[in-house]
Amino acid sequence: MIVDAAAKIGIEVPIYCYHPALGPLGACRMCLVQVEKMPKLVTGCTTPVAEGMVVHTRGPAVDKGRQGILEFLLINHPLDCPVCDKGGECFLQDYTFRYGPPAGRFSESKLERAKDAPISDFILIDQERCVLCQRCVRFLGEYAGEPQLMLKGRGVETVVAPADDRPVTSPFSGNVIDLCPVGALTSAAYRFKARPWNQVRYPSVCPHCPVGCPVTVTAREEHVMRVEGRPIPDRDWGWLCDRGRFGYDFAVHPSRLLTARLEGRPVPEAAALRQVARWLGEVRDRYGAGAVGFVVGGQHTVEDAYHLRRFAETLVGPGVQLAISQRVRGYLPPWLHGTYDDLEAADAVILIGADPYRAVPVLHLKLRQHWRRKPALPRWGVGVRPLGRETLPLRDLVVRPQAMAATLAWALQRAAKDHPAARAVAAGLGAWEPEDPAAAEALGHVLVASERPLLVWDGHDPEVETVLRALASVRGDRPTPVLPGFGPENARGFEWAGFPGGYEALRRLLEQAASGAIRFLAVWGADLMREVPDAGLVEAALARVEYAVFEGLFPPQGGERFGVWLPGAAWAEEAGTWSTLEGRLSPVAEAVAPPGDARPVRSILAGLARALKRPWTPEAWDPMVGTEAGLLPRPQRPEAEDLPSIAAPPPWRLAGDQLYVVAEADVFAQGAPSEILAPRRPAFWGRVHPETWAAFGSGPSGGRLTLEREGRRWTVSVGPDPTVPRGLLFLPIGVAEAPVYQIGEGPVTVAQPLEVRGG
Amino acid sequence: MADGQRYYLLRHREVPDIDQIAVYEAHEGYSALRRALKEFTPQAVVDLVKASGLRGRGGAGFPTGMKWGFLPNDGRPRYLVVNSDEAEPGTFKDRELIEHNPHQLIEGMVISAYAIGSHEAYIYCRGEFLHGAEQLRRAIREAYARGYLGENILDSGYSLDIHLYRGAGAYICGEESALLESLEGKRGQPRLKPPFPAVAGLYGQPTIVNNVETIANVPMLILHGAEWYRSMGTEKSPGLKIMSVSGHVRRPGNYEVPLATPLRTLIETYAGGVEPGQLKAIIPGGSSVPLLTPDQIDTPLDYESMMAAGTMLGSGGCIVMNDRTCMVAAAARLVKFYRVESCGKCTPCREGTYWMANVLERLEAGAGTDRDLELLLDLADNIGGKCLCPLGDASLGFMVSAIRHFRDEFEAHVREHGCPLGANRYDTVNH
Repeated sequence: MIVDAAAKIGIEVPIYCYHPALGPLGACRMCLVQVEKMPKLVTGCTTPVAEGMVVHTRGPAVDKGRQGILEFLLINHPLDCPVCDKGGECFLQDYTFRYGPPAGRFSESKLERAKDAPISDFILIDQERCVLCQRCVRFLGEYAGEPQLMLKGRGVETVVAPADDRPVTSPFSGNVIDLCPVGALTSAAYRFKARPWNQVRYPSVCPHCPVGCPVTVTAREEHVMRVEGRPIPDRDWGWLCDRGRFGYDFAVHPSRLLTARLEGRPVPEAAALRQVARWLGEVRDRYGAGAVGFVVGGQHTVEDAYHLRRFAETLVGPGVQLAISQRVRGYLPPWLHGTYDDLEAADAVILIGADPYRAVPVLHLKLRQHWRRKPALPRWGVGVRPLGRETLPLRDLVVRPQAMAATLAWALQRAAKDHPAARAVAAGLGAWEPEDPAAAEALGHVLVASERPLLVWDGHDPEVETVLRALASVRGDRPTPVLPGFGPENARGFEWAGFPGGYEALRRLLEQAASGAIRFLAVWGADLMREVPDAGLVEAALARVEYAVFEGLFPPQGGERFGVWLPGAAWAEEAGTWSTLEGRLSPVAEAVAPPGDARPVRSILAGLARALKRPWTPEAWDPMVGTEAGLLPRPQRPEAEDLPSIAAPPPWRLAGDQLYVVAEADVFAQGAPSEILAPRRPAFWGRVHPETWAAFGSGPSGGRLTLEREGRRWTVSVGPDPTVPRGLLFLPIGVAEAPVYQIGEGPVTVAQPLEVRGG
Repeated sequence: MADGQRYYLLRHREVPDIDQIAVYEAHEGYSALRRALKEFTPQAVVDLVKASGLRGRGGAGFPTGMKWGFLPNDGRPRYLVVNSDEAEPGTFKDRELIEHNPHQLIEGMVISAYAIGSHEAYIYCRGEFLHGAEQLRRAIREAYARGYLGENILDSGYSLDIHLYRGAGAYICGEESALLESLEGKRGQPRLKPPFPAVAGLYGQPTIVNNVETIANVPMLILHGAEWYRSMGTEKSPGLKIMSVSGHVRRPGNYEVPLATPLRTLIETYAGGVEPGQLKAIIPGGSSVPLLTPDQIDTPLDYESMMAAGTMLGSGGCIVMNDRTCMVAAAARLVKFYRVESCGKCTPCREGTYWMANVLERLEAGAGTDRDLELLLDLADNIGGKCLCPLGDASLGFMVSAIRHFRDEFEAHVREHGCPLGANRYDTVNH
């Protein structure tokens, strides 16, 4: 289109309705240009460029056309720029200054419409400022597939309004704020907080889920004011989910750790560091470096992890035990790690357990665009519940819990009967068959026969890794890219900094702690009790170690086990590098200073070194060296591997008073607390099938269930959800009020349905 | 019609109860379909329509056969959509056709759909045409019962289903791409063109959208041939056209005339002349076209002559105004129509018609200023040629020509703070 071509060579053609991701609409008529040999002005957003075409983007006719359009747009506009949040970064303001009429000629009365009306908990609409470009309507309706905004009325009475007068609930709703070229859709949380010219904008990466979307953080006077999407040409449109866009207030949450604590008492940071140094020195000197363990997680940068490793290696000594906190047991070998380019080129998409809409929302948006472009390709969802959605139709293959790896191994073996790797992984299945053999076999053929499949895995069942390795072996030289739909955030970055990846490393470290071999355990950023799948092992480890130190943003679960708490710097409070879902490093800027006594890891480590009376300065290290424009290198596929065989799953048995607990990632439930996002927190943490709910509860919307296992009881809020198969109870990972990993996955007895709320 | 001339499209005026299928059949009804299916290949029908020179009767006058020829040959399903969303002020011909002779349209549709290889056809009927829609619904049912619709029509192996869809009262849905949006169940807004409906129309498939009167012509082309059709009208504008005459005439109504009939004949002979008063202005082709003045009354009613006279034949809605008509009031009334009917999608039409209607109402009420005329013309310039669809331009035709020809009258409204004619005070209350 002419506007794109002009933008490429740096010529501005003003636009409102056009957006390259949404395609041409031709509604606002702002981009009128003159094309030689065409009788009338044409819209630059709807006219494709052609060889030899001569386009004038200025000139008397074009200028008058633009002036006319701007004058029309302004006749019913309230001209309330002084109190408009968009003022200063508004395209109506900017274009009017650049191309608009010097004065208005409209002397009639302006139409009055809704101002500052909420369309959701996060977004306000001002219909008087709206230029009806329809970007918001089209983004939600077409791009995200959730038509929750619509045009109402006609002619000059047309307004954008929530469909059926119901609040907008799409997790992608906040993008309409970025898309709105004027001040019609604004953020409720940002309202009247700052003017654009008082703020500084910093490039960063969203820390709230493993996707790592590019964001712009704008800050004013040491406070993050808002988070916006940061489009990267030819790579990313800059869409965010609402978790990332509105969850930025965690840094000023009342529960944030702002002072160091020693045995629960607030102490000066230096005193806490002296105590940690004494413990660390004692353990190192008496038991050697092997008795010291470091676990990294949370919102740390790649550089933080690098400094931690270097500190451990140089000041504690070689042999320090290192691990990355994990939220699932599965691990994706780096050589299988796919990229978004793989998605772009994919001729089949298979979701294995992963529901990107809940776990990694912006990946869902990318998968949806792939579906919109190529709707006919095979798309599968294999999960313990149906993974397909209206916004991303899939062929669903629902398996029993524990049968995921077996089903995939069976499918692979059916599709590649003669391949030794396929035979090896399926050898232990015996006569076992999946519940829907025909569908499983069809899936196997898609996995084996597609030229460029793309897999998305939720990492829930670690044995799936074996099947993926076997699949790659069967596929030989054809690629088998897998995108990990699981965290932790920045995990590949921590690995790049030298921490060993995967759940096995963490489990070994925790077992050594539980057995007494590790006596000093420092946890950097991670909340182990809340997020690690084997909460019992974490408990045992923390109970056994002599000294446990915690660094992070919020008091950890089981915090009394840690002798010292150190307040850490959060995301946006420290510059560094972050890795994204496709394993690409991206810089994050320091937008604000850490509050209170919170400080970055390198400062804490320098303080520790001083207390240890050893010279140490953080080494300069550029993590970008060795990457391809930030993309972390992928190792070669290993030559023939010996793969263990997958055992047949145990028969499905669930007593009448039992539920089967399944842990699931939910980006709106997990992670740092946010007061802005409080309205979006699920009303009930747990989800069961409505019939299951009816059997155990009595309220129509939800209530609380008391669960019991091995004499321990937990009470969690539960609501009905028709997408959950009967008998299963889905609980989100990382929520203190519903500690799924402490309850444990698997069958649990319903002790009693308690109080019912809602109605 | 006068002077013993035969009726064709308006045959129902001679034949009572021709809306009943038995009567229709008794008067050559569906014989054209029989003949087309038996003696014509689909391509032969297309060639016949091309040879006849039939042009679209909805307003644009695009050659029908040529339009049919734009369908891509790519194996995708094709749709025929009949535009019965007649809402142009001054035009009421399609209404009479569907209310009084629905089988003529259905027969034309089957032949046309056969010609273009479509097996699904739609009638998009203006929402307000309740009686017309009921007539069509009944006629479609009758045609199915007699085997003129459905599977294997008249043992020809050709099948067609016709669906009737009623609009919800939006002028814009008479614009073909907005019609298709509405037919798909969406908000009635025009689409970007290209792609044109022939390439990507209903549900993205190749689609032909034709006016009711256009399709109603097809059976007689089969029966009487292209030569006969060309014996009427001119080389470029052959055939018959229904003109809807309204306003200050003795006998308002629909008149079927050969194209190139002088406007004077239509008004003075057929419609019985201007009454009361003297002729002041004529809108010859529906409210969207510029007016003609009394000295242009001998202009022939064909597409080319009207174009040469500075206006358009359009849909054939001929509005006659006598010398007591206030041009400011008329312009205010017509622009208000477009302000209300603008879909709101594109800026100049949405805001411009609102602004112009406001200014005209102010002028009409006597609160105009010296600058208002220049403002109106400048607004017209900012709308003209800058809109997404023709509606914006359509709102200008009458107003601009009225200012051109009756500038004194507009200025008198400013000078005298009201209408110098003291008549036709336009009600300025918005609804």
